[in-house]
Amino acid sequence: MKRRDFIKLVGTGLVLSGLDFEAEASPAPDLSRHRALYWEKLPDRRVRCLLCPRYCVVGDRERGYCGVRENRGGEYISLVYGRPVTLALDPVEKKPLFHFLPGRKAFSIATAGCNVNCKFCQNWQISQVRPEQVRFYKIPPERTAHLAYRYHAPILAYTYTEPVIFVEYMLDTAREASRLGIRNVVITGAHVNPRPWKDILAAMDAVKIDLKAFSEDFYKKIVRGKLKPVLDAIVLSAESGKWLEIVYLVIPGLNDGMDEIRKMSRWMVKNAGPQVPVHFSRFFPMYLLKNLPATPISTLERAREVAMEEGLKFVYVGNVPGHPAETTYCPRCKKPLIKRVGFEIKENNIKHGKCKFCGEKIPGVWA
Amino acid sequence: MRVLVVRVRGDFSSALKKGISALCKSNRTCLRRLFPRGTLSLKVNTLGGRKISTSPGLANALAQLAVEAGAEEAIIWDRSEWELRRAGYRIKRRGRIKVLATDSPRVGFSEELYSYGEVGSLFSKIQVFSRASISLAVLKDHDIAGVTLGMKNYYGAIHNPNKYHDDGCDPFIPQVFASEPVSSHHTLTVIDATRVQFHRGPSYHSRWFATPGLIIMGEDPVAVDHFGWSLVEKFRARAGLPSLKEEKRFPHWLITAEKMGLGKTSYQVVEL
Repeated sequence: MKRRDFIKLVGTGLVLSGLDFEAEASPAPDLSRHRALYWEKLPDRRVRCLLCPRYCVVGDRERGYCGVRENRGGEYISLVYGRPVTLALDPVEKKPLFHFLPGRKAFSIATAGCNVNCKFCQNWQISQVRPEQVRFYKIPPERTAHLAYRYHAPILAYTYTEPVIFVEYMLDTAREASRLGIRNVVITGAHVNPRPWKDILAAMDAVKIDLKAFSEDFYKKIVRGKLKPVLDAIVLSAESGKWLEIVYLVIPGLNDGMDEIRKMSRWMVKNAGPQVPVHFSRFFPMYLLKNLPATPISTLERAREVAMEEGLKFVYVGNVPGHPAETTYCPRCKKPLIKRVGFEIKENNIKHGKCKFCGEKIPGVWA
Repeated sequence: MRVLVVRVRGDFSSALKKGISALCKSNRTCLRRLFPRGTLSLKVNTLGGRKISTSPGLANALAQLAVEAGAEEAIIWDRSEWELRRAGYRIKRRGRIKVLATDSPRVGFSEELYSYGEVGSLFSKIQVFSRASISLAVLKDHDIAGVTLGMKNYYGAIHNPNKYHDDGCDPFIPQVFASEPVSSHHTLTVIDATRVQFHRGPSYHSRWFATPGLIIMGEDPVAVDHFGWSLVEKFRARAGLPSLKEEKRFPHWLITAEKMGLGKTSYQVVEL
């Protein structure tokens, strides 16, 4: 929009245009005032948020870093409880979850807000805004779960932004969804404290964690967060017995060193297990990293080789539709088990959780 | 560079006139620089409610002065109409002097993302489309930034201020200020120092509140803020409070701002 258009639109430049504002009231944002979980009171009506490793100390009428939890007179509230900004029916492969009910639909929801600020965020228009700055729906948890049921979605996914910041809405929705026989999955950066994370894990059937790099420096400068709590959350997830997959977005010049990828893979094998699928995804320039090129496919292929050399059994290449490394291969007989093109399943050779060619048990949730 | 400190005796209008006269010395070029033709926006800070926000009387007097000096219209504005009303402003959508907010109907944020250093933000369309802008801030202690004054006031012009409070807001305050919608429009900083919250800010606490009865103004945003910070420190010392440095809240962003060439931390103070 040009300055002239704006002036015309809102009627400023009165003297020049003779236009004026219409006398209409500002719409009051109908945000929620649901009491938040995980916080403590401090003197002078301040609170300390205990949800994520930032431990925001929030003054009266102020908000935490996520922009969706507000202090109202010494009480901490969630502004996004039952206020999703997105409702969509996605293939579960889009999350991506490759070893969890392949080919099924996931009713996917998100609210505004995020507790980090990744310079490569692909959903920044909803994650890096305050809830009143975007259109939202007003749908309580019970109705959210019933919507998933009505659309015959066997999975409810908390995704797109950072579900940790709408934990209260997520936990209540997950409870209702479970009652309806719907499986719950969370797609998260896992920048979260152990206590809330354990509660989230207890409510989930599967978890996908974005491990954004394997260096504290990257987390500090590019993510505006910390690596250690994410690694702790991965360990807790692996210990919980819930299905876990990892995505590592490979960004040219920032986290694409093969030493870093080798270290990360070694750590994964040791702390989460060799059976945890790892997806090396292709970066495309966006948000604050428009100056970088897209990741060369050869880099992703090399990362996959390195990870498999370190012992990871299921390593994928992501964001490259049609690439052979989108397919699941049997670690024993090496035959293709689930052939994928993009989010579409072309062939599934897993029967009762086993390779139909050699009988090898394939880790995952298949039914 | 000069920082002008005007004692308010009587109405805001005469205090402002005294300050502007001292700043421009009847120089028409200077007046045209501060109040160019077109739309002038006056960004007030109404976060602290009626007790510690930019005085509506001061904002109106400055808007009136701007219009008299040649601005075609003046928009007094902040983030939300609700906050403006709570601070005692009356929303005014008509006339040469308007009172509006980013959340007013048909205003909102820019579609373009403006990026400078670590900062990437959408800016209020009022800021983006104004010919010139004045930061009409308050004098407050800030639990994270040390102090909140004229430069930090522009946090109210971006859509994601919550993202820029790490590390004592350094280097974020100077980088928000250096972003194109602010740096290319800002002409003047005016601090409403009729009241000061010198501890436990930015919200109001009567125990650490005083009424110096001053207006601070100047063209150098760093110099004005630096002087404002020194004043907050004086009130803190007088009340027996430790300095911001002792509390590990020294406003390092002032030093960063100077290093970035946004202004000077050495200046001449002129008391009127």
